[in-house]
Order: sequence, then C-alpha cells, then structure tokens
Amino acid sequence: MLHFPILTVIIFVPILGSFLPLALHRHPAGARWSSLAVTLVEIILVGSLFFLGLKPQAGPQGAWLLLEEYSWIAGFGAKYSLGLDGISLVMVLLTAFINIFCVLISWDAIEEKVGSFFFFILFLEGALIGLFLANDLLLFYLFWEIQLIPMFFLVGVWGHKNRIHAAIKFILYTLTGSLLMLIALIAIHILHGQQTGVYTFNLYQLMHTRYSFTTEVLLFLAFLLAFGIKIPLIPVHTWLPDTHTEAPTAGSVDLAGLLLKTGIYGLLRFGIPLFPNAAKFFGPLLLALGLGGLFYAAWVALTQTDIKRLVAYSSISHMGLMVVGIAIWNPISLSGSLLQMVNHGLSTSALFIMVGMLDERLHSRDFAALGGLWGKMPVFSAFFLLFALSSLGLPGLNNFVGEVLILIGAFQSQPVIAILGFCGIVFGVIYILRMVQDSLFGERRGEHELWDINGREALILVSLALAVLFIGLHPTPLLNLLEHPVQTMLHQTQQVALLGM
Amino acid sequence: MKIVILLLLLFPLSGGVANALLGRYLPRRAVEVIACAGVAGSLVMAAVAIILLGDRSHDFTYWGWFTAGELSASFNVHYDPLAAVMALMVAFVSSIIHLYSVAFMRADEDYVRFFCYLNFFVFAMLVITVADNLLFVYLGWEGVGFCSYALIGFWYRDPANADAGRKAFICTRIGDVAFGVALALFFVLFHNFSLTQINAQASSLSSGMATLLGLLLLWAAVGKSAQLPLTVWLPDAMAGPTPVSALIHAATMVTAGVYLLMRLFPVVSLSPTAMLVIAGVGAVTSLYAALAALAQSDLKKMLAYSTISQVGYMVLAVGAGDIVGGTFHLVSHAFFKALLFLAAGFVIQALAEEHNIFRMGNLRRLMPSVYWLFLAGAVSLSAFPLLGGFFSKDRILLATFLNPGISYKIFWFLGVLAALLTPIYTFRAFFVGFPERPDGPQPAAVRLPPRFMAAVLWPLAILALGDGLLNLPGGFGKNFLGNYMAPVPGARPDLGASVALEWLMGVGTAVSVIATIVLAYYLYGRRPAREPAREGWHEFLFSGLYLDHLYRLVFIRPYEAISTFLWRQVDERVVDRGYIGLAKGFFYPYWALCRFLWRGVDETVLDDGVVKGAGQLLRLSGGLGRWTTGLLSTYLTMLLLGLAVFLGALAVNWYLL
Repeated sequence: MLHFPILTVIIFVPILGSFLPLALHRHPAGARWSSLAVTLVEIILVGSLFFLGLKPQAGPQGAWLLLEEYSWIAGFGAKYSLGLDGISLVMVLLTAFINIFCVLISWDAIEEKVGSFFFFILFLEGALIGLFLANDLLLFYLFWEIQLIPMFFLVGVWGHKNRIHAAIKFILYTLTGSLLMLIALIAIHILHGQQTGVYTFNLYQLMHTRYSFTTEVLLFLAFLLAFGIKIPLIPVHTWLPDTHTEAPTAGSVDLAGLLLKTGIYGLLRFGIPLFPNAAKFFGPLLLALGLGGLFYAAWVALTQTDIKRLVAYSSISHMGLMVVGIAIWNPISLSGSLLQMVNHGLSTSALFIMVGMLDERLHSRDFAALGGLWGKMPVFSAFFLLFALSSLGLPGLNNFVGEVLILIGAFQSQPVIAILGFCGIVFGVIYILRMVQDSLFGERRGEHELWDINGREALILVSLALAVLFIGLHPTPLLNLLEHPVQTMLHQTQQVALLGM
Repeated sequence: MKIVILLLLLFPLSGGVANALLGRYLPRRAVEVIACAGVAGSLVMAAVAIILLGDRSHDFTYWGWFTAGELSASFNVHYDPLAAVMALMVAFVSSIIHLYSVAFMRADEDYVRFFCYLNFFVFAMLVITVADNLLFVYLGWEGVGFCSYALIGFWYRDPANADAGRKAFICTRIGDVAFGVALALFFVLFHNFSLTQINAQASSLSSGMATLLGLLLLWAAVGKSAQLPLTVWLPDAMAGPTPVSALIHAATMVTAGVYLLMRLFPVVSLSPTAMLVIAGVGAVTSLYAALAALAQSDLKKMLAYSTISQVGYMVLAVGAGDIVGGTFHLVSHAFFKALLFLAAGFVIQALAEEHNIFRMGNLRRLMPSVYWLFLAGAVSLSAFPLLGGFFSKDRILLATFLNPGISYKIFWFLGVLAALLTPIYTFRAFFVGFPERPDGPQPAAVRLPPRFMAAVLWPLAILALGDGLLNLPGGFGKNFLGNYMAPVPGARPDLGASVALEWLMGVGTAVSVIATIVLAYYLYGRRPAREPAREGWHEFLFSGLYLDHLYRLVFIRPYEAISTFLWRQVDERVVDRGYIGLAKGFFYPYWALCRFLWRGVDETVLDDGVVKGAGQLLRLSGGLGRWTTGLLSTYLTMLLLGLAVFLGALAVNWYLL
C-alpha cells in the first residue's frame, strides 16, 4: 500500500488551488493562467496513477486499487474513506480532462469576476473528484451537496438572461432529491447499527444490512429519486434544458460532461449494490424510464429552435440509453454504460463547447441565425460534423462502441428492449442530422461577422477529437480498466442479493 | 498477402487523411494526385491480391478493436474469390471515377472536401468487401453511408441537396436497425462476429432462427440497396455530383446490401422462407423501378430507377440461390451503369446542367464520342444479345425459373416483364435525348468539358460490352466466373439446366430485347418527342408510384407533429408546469402560514416587545451591515474562511485526537 495519500492530494489540489484565481481576482490574466496551471497539475497527478503499477487488491472492503481511510466523525462512525477502482479512475480521469477545457473555453468568454468564476470551476472539479472517490456514504453525500453550490453560482452569476430562474430551478430540483437521499442514508445507518451494533457509513459494511422488502423498496426509491433527477430520467428532467440554456459554456460542459454522470455513478456504486433486490424489482421501471427518455428526448429534440436546447435534450436521450445498460446489469452492458459515460462526456462537451463558440460569434443560438456556416468557417464545421457523427454513433468514433456494448449486452437478456434501443438510435440520427443541416448547410443567414477557430479553440477541439477517435478505434485500455470492477460489482451484488432473500 | 490486403485498405484511407489534414495548404494538382494515387494504389493491390489468391481463401487479423466480457471485435479480413472479384471491381471503377472527377470538378472550389470524402468512401467500401468481423463490416457499412450522405449534400448551399443526403442517411439507417439486431442475435447464438465462423456453424441454426436472421439481413440490405420498401432515397440521391452517383449510387454502395447477403449466404440460404421473401423483394422491386423509370424525364433519375431495378435482379439472384449470377450481374452492372452515369454527367455539364432529356438532342453532332459511349452503356443495360448484361441477366432469370414452386415462376415472370421494360426506358431516354431535334441545343450554347473526361470512359465501355466473356453459358470459357467462385460457400458454378432450356431462354430473351428496342424506336425515335404532361398514369409512374407521398403522409408529418406536441404540450405544459403547480400546492399553505406568523403573530402580538428591543437590534445589524457588502468576493472569502476553519478542525481531529 502506498503511504503517500495521493487520492487526498488529487481531491484537494483543485480545491485548494481554487484559491489561486480568487486571490488573483484583480488580475484576470493571472487568474486564468493559474487556473490552467491547476488543471494541468491535476491531470498530471491523475495520469501518474497509471504509472504506479496499481493492481486490484482484495481486502476486507472489496477489491480496490487504492484505499485511504482516516477517522472523521467518530461519533457517527463516519470515516474519511476514499477508494480507487477502475470505474473511479476512469471518471476521475474524465473529470480532470474535461476541466482543462472548461478553463480554456472560458478564457475570453468570461470577462467579469474572472477570479470567482475560476474559483467555482476548480472547486467543482475537486468536489466531483471527491464524489467519484468517496467510499463512505456520508462523505459521498457531502461531496454530492457541495457540487451544487459552485454550479448554482456558475449558472446564477455568469449565465444568460434568465439565469436566476434557471439556477433556482436547478437547486430546487436537485435538493429535493438529495434531501430524501439524506433521510434514507440516515435510515440505513440506524438500521445497520441496530442490527449489528456497529454504527457506520462504510459502503461495504452497509451492503450487508438486512431489510424487509418494503423498507428496501422505500430506501431504494429515495436514492433513485436523487440520482434520477441528476441523470436526469424522465419525467424529472425539465430542469436540465433550462439550466443548460442559461448556463455559461463551461457550466454546461461541467453539467453535461460530469454532473449528470454523478447520477449514474451513484446508482451504480451505491443505489444498486445497497439494495439489489429492490433494484431488481424496479429493473423494469428503470428500463422503461431509460428507453422512454431515449425516445422522448430524441423526439422533443427534433423541433427545438435553440441549438443549445437541442444538445441538452440529446443529453437526456443519451443518458436514457446508459440507464438501460445499468438496468440490464450484465458485464457487457455495464461496461458499455460506463464507457458511454466517458463517450458522452467527450462528445456532448465538445458539442456544448462548439455551441458556445457560435454564441460568442453570433450572440445567438437560434437556428434562424445559423445556417451556411460551412462556407464561412470550414474548420469549425468539420469539427462540428465530427462530433455530431460521434454523437449519432458512427462506427470508428467513440459512441459506437458504448452503444453496441449496451445493446448487445441488453439483447442477451432482454431482446425486445435491445431492439427498441436499436430503433431509438435512428431517432437520434434524425435530430442530429437536422442540427447539422440547419447550422452548417444551406445559405448563410444573418449579417454577423464570422471567423474560423483560433489557436486556443483549435487546441480544445483537436484534443477532444483525438480522444473521440482513440476511444472509437482502441477502447481496450479503458475497457480493461473497467473489466475487473464490473466483475467485482456484479459478484458483490449477487452475494448481497442472496443475503437479502 | 497480409500486407497486400492491408495496403489495399490503407491506400485510400491515407489519401483521405492526408487531404483532410493538409489539403488546404497544398496546390490543387497535389490534392488530385494524392486522391488518385490512393485509389490507384488500391487497384494495384487488388490486382496483386487476386493473382496471389489462387483458388483459396485467406483470413488475417490485424488488430483487436475492443473486448468486454466474452464479446470481442477485431479488425480482420476474409479474402476469398467473392471478395477478390468485388475488390477488383470497386478499385477499378473507383480509379476511373477519380480520374473523371479531376476533370468534372475542375471549376469547383471545394475540391479538397470532395476528394477526401471520395477517398474515405473507397476505403469504407473496401472494408465491407474484405472484412470478416461483422462489426468491422458495420464500420465500412456506416462509413459508406456517411460518405454517401456527405456527397449527396455536397453542394450544401441548396437545402434540397442537403435534404436528399439526410433522407438517404435516415433510410439506410432504418435498414441498419435490422443489421444491428442481426449482429446481436449472431452474438447470442454463436458468441462470435466472424462471418466465416458464423457461416461454418450456420447449419446448427433452427429453421425459425434461420428465417429470422435471413429476414433481418434482407431488411438491412433493403435499406442499403434501395429495394422496396426503402427505395425512395435513391432517386433523390441524384442531387449529388454525377461522379458520386456513378460510384456510390450505381456501381458500389447500393450493391453492398446484396454483397452482404452473398457473404452470409450459408445463413441466408438455410431458410426457404427467407429465400422466397428475398426473391420476391428483388423481383417486385425490379419491376416497380422499371415502371417508374419509364416516366422519368430527368436523365439521372431515369438511371437511378434503373439502378434500383437492376439491383433488384441481384437480390432476386440471391433469393434464387445463385450467387454466381448475382456477382456476375453486380460486376457487369457496375461497368455499364457507371459508364451511363459518367456519360450522362458529361452531357449534363456540356449543356449547362440540363437534366431533362426533352431539352437535349443533337448530341451525336455535338459530342460524338459521348454519344457512342452512352449507346454502348445503353445496349449493355438493355441486355442486348451477346453483351455482358445479356448473359448475367439471363443467368439470373434461368436460376429463378429452375427453382421449384409456383412463387418462383411468378417472380421469373415479373423479372421477364422488367427485362422487357428495360430496353424501353433506356432507349426512350436515348431516342428522346440523343438524336437530332430542331429545338435541341445548338453548338453555340454548348461548352464541352475537357476531352479527357470522355476518354477515361473507354475502358468502362469496352468492359461493359465485353464482360460477358467472364461467364459464358457454353463453349470456350464456359462458367469461368462460376468455377472461379466455386470455393465460396454456396456458389454453384453451373445451374444444371438442360441445354434446350438454356437455348430457349437465351434466344427468347434475345429476340424480345431486340423487339422492344425496335418498339422503343417506334414510340420515341421516329420524331422528336414532346415532354408529356404530368397527369394520370404518367404522374403516377413519374413519382415512383406515390411511395414518397405515402411516406410523407404516414411517417414524416406525424413524426414532426408529435415532436412539436411533445415539446410544447407535454414537456413544457404538463411536465414542467405540473411540477411548478405541485410546488405551489405545497408552497401556498406554507406561505399563508408565514404570512399569518408575520402579520398575525409578529406584528400584532410581538411588535411591542420588538420595538422595545429595537435599540439593541439596530446596533447589532449595524455591525452585520459592514459584512453584507454585496460583493461576491467578500462572500467567497467568508465561505473560504469557514471552510478553512472546518478543515483545520478536521486536521486537529486526525492528528491530535
């Protein structure tokens, strides 16, 4: 075991680093460069995890690559407990990667209160990484709630016209869910304490709590509501398009690329392993909501007039498919869903970034103002087409691999669901081609001066495009990382489910 | 050999990549040379490979793609005589079309994009041709679909072109649903995506499963090959530049569906039901499209419907169990149809983008070489006796006729009807558009494209006229292609028909083809024809039997309406406002309570006490006021201070307690 607390460092580098831009708030350039430096240090730290030669080690708390545990609130048995497995590693890597672009994309776009803006971005990064590493339910809950605050301010202060409305809607929706989760969390804590005399928030120990079926169902529903609002599942999704529409670009990127993933991650790491029997009972519901979201959001996306709203609905649609993969709960579909989280994080972030670039140029995101961009900005358009194709699942690009794994995994146990999923992909093609056509093709509308991408923008897009191609052509390294934890998780839930019978 | 096949794929890919990355900075000639060299490299490799192949088959794995659980996909190829013939044809036709395109696109500023897509297309098509793992096939399959989409809408400024591209992509994607489901089913049944493995184990399939798989693969092929009921995208696809129509929408991509059925023939042929449906779709489509072709006045649309009809024959061949005949017709069709399209492209460019045959004419005088080239293509398409199209079509009809059962006899009859219509619609276009007519274009109005554009077509013309030699039904070189393809699973070199029947069939077709050409001359060739008014039967045929209108009415309009409805009514009104209402439902009682506490309790009951304590309170709030500066950074500092204290307490907790 490593003695150096690298996981803690990885969480606190961005959190402490967020003070830098704040301290430099009188020097916007300093704030920008210092934030960039923090995100770069962070990705180097995360990258260094790959060179430690980490092997999954089975211990009393399951198999982890790295574990860090310190006492925290002794009275409640809550511990500051972090665990790294392949799933966390992939999510942490994604978070560190995406946040570099959050800083870069805000370089010129954010002109007011620059220091505070980057403070929130970096603070959010730290909170998200903490969330993906937390092994203790209370610690997880802490990070879960903390991430709302920076997001609230990012939307509420730097957003567009209706930003206050959107920020409040965002906070109300997510708080409603997470408060119920808090109650459920305390309930598990007490139940487990009563059964065993050990009062703890440790995930692995809590998995062995026994419940009556009704209790389990109620507790699971509380978790599901919290996670479902975040994912978002229909019908609790309506906060997302509003928040996206009003959020600054970096906020949208964080939201679509990472915050939504916390919902799926929570379901996968906590919701289902803690309540496998209830999860099994609600499997059909999850499938229905996931598939429903896939179709419904794709349908609604088609006629949107605001391109950012269209991308927001496309997010809901994609997340729906990931939920299907989770609900199927077999190795192939689960790997697919996890990989798809990364894929969606890359492609949708890229699309939001590009929509942000358009907004900077045109000061509008209405399709009426778009059209004919290919003639004016060919390089931009080529990238936009690439990410659109990635989003519609063209083989050779990243999304395809995830979609195929989810659907073939699903076909093994639920052929009908898989067939519907294949049909849903066509719905995706329809709205994405509409988006491409109404923005890139046709005659140029409007008089705004347009310029093609500059060096900084090219850097962002090239990096994302390389990642998209890499996963599309050679996803094996990522899938290898995921393979072991997926197996462990399937095995654990099976054991726990048997216990509960 | 492994390297040769790899290079076959990598040449066009690297050409495309090089032009995509550097094309903007290179001179025009360099871009053209890179694009053509990429495809020419493939042609050389295809030729070397077919020589090295002998009569065996090769399997190579290059790299793994992805693995999850027991699912694994890799980049591997299965190169057998069928793939060899297809690869050579694809590389050859692509090479000609690339050369032609250099001249065709001479005035277009977007040539880099054009050649990129064209090279990527050739790469993806060759992937379909040689790939073994079905997921790898799917990569090529979607790759050609995307290139087709991008090239149909190449002239993107006109929304109609982009619409046509989108329609093509969505229609083929509808077919791909079945491909996806078939892939999943193959995985569940065989735990494998390799088509050689699947073919080897096919006999273990139950009959129901075989039928299901056959029908799924048919549905996939129907989308790609523009067969009924997904024919509608191909006529619209003519919005693309003509070389694209020739390459993608005649010679190669539209035959990919048929090719897939032939690659998986051992699976498909297991189920008589599936075979019957395949044959039926092919036969009905060939007649349907031939009827629609009869009424077209746009030269390219006529050729598009004719392509649908001819691909119908190939599908019929698969359904009749004769993949040799299917391949034979596929190859000869590629030659003559590419020739016809490219010749048409020459004419259209010379006449300032005039597509309407009723406004052409005088072409023999204006552009004699193209006149003869088009005629060569037309006689081959019409299956004029002793030409390529004649032998290949004849073999398919014979194979259909030899199948037992009344259904196949009906399909044979439909095929014969379509074969009789073929010379009529072909020579209708020829007799209307090509000979002398007084109101036709005059030399002053014609701006001939470079002669090079016609010159590169001669190899195609020679092959179109002479490729019957590939597989003569008798005599010297009898069943050459058939014998060559013998190692391909399911290929029958010889149909085993009696000599008398073969002669009867051949002579019968020959006589009727000549007769119908004469009929077409009497109908359209004796005097300059006028464009018929589009009404009644003519309108019915012209609009492809109203299939497009039907789809618009039944699918597209409702789909869009539902989309708007879901957004405006369901999402915004019901769901979103529903929550707001719900929130208000909770909030109003709470609010009323607060109000009561304020007005009722606070002001009336407690006010006195508060007033008394006001002095002290004021002093306190004055103190707080200094902190409520309204500056965000102040709040943040406060927040951080609090956090610092919190973290400090934590640290103390760990290390000291």
